[in-house]
Amino acid sequence: MTRAVVLVFLVVTSTAQAQSGWKVSFGVSGGPEIARWRFGTTRERVSGLVLGGEAVAARGHLVARLRYGQGRVTNDTAGRDVAEGEALLGYKARPWLTVWVGPHARTFVVPGQSDRRWLFWSGRVSARGTLFPGRVESFVDLWQGVTGSLNRPAESASGGGAEAGLVVRLARHPVWGRLAYRIEQGRATAVGRRETVEAVTLTVGFDR
Amino acid sequence: MTRALGLCFMLLAGAAAAPRTAAAQAAAPVLAQGVRAYDDLDLDGAAGLIRRALSMQGTGALTPAEGDRALMYLAATELLRDHADSARAVARRLIVANPRFRPDELVFPPQVLTFYEGVRRATPAVIGRAPADTAIRPGTEALTVRLYASTFHDVTATLARDDGRVLRTLYSGPVGDSLDLHWNGLDSSGTAPPPNGRYAITVTSLDRQRRAVRILRVPLEVTQGRVDTLPHPAPPADSLLLPERQPMGPGLRAFAPAALAGVAIVVLPGVVANGEDASGARFVVGGTVTVAGLVAFFSHHPGRSIPANAAHNRTLRDAWRREDADVARRNAERARGMLGIRAGTPVLLTPEAP
Repeated sequence: MTRAVVLVFLVVTSTAQAQSGWKVSFGVSGGPEIARWRFGTTRERVSGLVLGGEAVAARGHLVARLRYGQGRVTNDTAGRDVAEGEALLGYKARPWLTVWVGPHARTFVVPGQSDRRWLFWSGRVSARGTLFPGRVESFVDLWQGVTGSLNRPAESASGGGAEAGLVVRLARHPVWGRLAYRIEQGRATAVGRRETVEAVTLTVGFDR
Repeated sequence: MTRALGLCFMLLAGAAAAPRTAAAQAAAPVLAQGVRAYDDLDLDGAAGLIRRALSMQGTGALTPAEGDRALMYLAATELLRDHADSARAVARRLIVANPRFRPDELVFPPQVLTFYEGVRRATPAVIGRAPADTAIRPGTEALTVRLYASTFHDVTATLARDDGRVLRTLYSGPVGDSLDLHWNGLDSSGTAPPPNGRYAITVTSLDRQRRAVRILRVPLEVTQGRVDTLPHPAPPADSLLLPERQPMGPGLRAFAPAALAGVAIVVLPGVVANGEDASGARFVVGGTVTVAGLVAFFSHHPGRSIPANAAHNRTLRDAWRREDADVARRNAERARGMLGIRAGTPVLLTPEAP
């Protein structure tokens, strides 16, 4: 499903770039990620490296963003593959403020077990501030799941998250870098399950 | 009947006007008769006729020029009658009345001319001519009173109040044929005009023993004009001035987003993931953002002076100060105002009898 979304987005962004007025950027990211589970009295902490990519297309006030990341998080006793992604549609209410909506999902793959996937339809607010005009910006994203679900055990879920960091653009070059800290938490209250994910992400991208 | 009444009225009017016309025409013909008597060497008759002409008053009296001529003929007559004292008194009267008068050398004999010249030299006196009504700007303009002297002598000219208190000494020294007295409209301090009121320019003629022999008094009425001052120019508006130092605002505006992001990174984990112990990795990102904000803040050089702007502002302020000083100077001039001066008829006082 995620791959299909990525493909659709790439097709859309490629088509959009071919038309005038669209701004498109791509980026690759990587960084350590820490995940914590709390299920009743059981706690577990895993960490690892997650690599990913993103694409953003914007025209006028409308913005679309797709992110996908994949990696493996482990501890001394266990390991899991993790894949996460989001597909958001945004509206730039102000030059510094964007409102987003869209799905946000994360899946942990444990060998020998079915995948455990968190899926949220979220509302998100992004604010940007300029440190050096055209060069350095800071940003803060806050999101809250409007509705969500956990597939194993099948339960409704709630959650939210935040991301903040710094974006640096090279002068006279369409290359940019981003250092971000991200924290998210999903909660399935009915079954007493809670998962928290922290990540520090370094992204390098370019604008077309 | 009406014609009879009109005729009577005309007769009455003519009768009323006749004596006045006769009196008006009396002095000059009498003087002419006296001159003819003088020419005929009827000196007694001449003296009587001339004195009679001089004594006539009213509209038929002698004009000033005729009076001068009559006095001169009378002095000559008295001299030729061997009445030297009387001749001297008459000559002195003429000299005091008109120091500029000189007898006609073709009319009078040398002995009369010599006599008159001797009396004139022994009779120091001045008369003054001042504009009847004028206005001056005190300190920069002046009232001029022209003095005419009978002979070379010393005078002292002062400006005095109506009560006689001397306000300023205008001149002290010799006077020959004539002299211009100047008063610049300021009081004894030399900085302000005197208050409104009556004043007098007093010119005292001194003899060789420096005794006051005659005093010419020219009354003045001084009135200060209304003062209108110019408004001082407003200092340069803030909108025209450029900041002389780099303001803190741009630096703070650059730092604020970083600070907010840094605070968010530190605080938000507690909000988003309540109950979880967030890792210390966030401090790396938060610290990086904050440091970037500090760099952005100091890149604006807050508080550093801007020489070009300072020079621009200095030019504006200097221009304003010059204009303000100019207005102050012009107001100071206007504060003195225009001084209205009305001169009365000069009066000549003689401490000793002529």
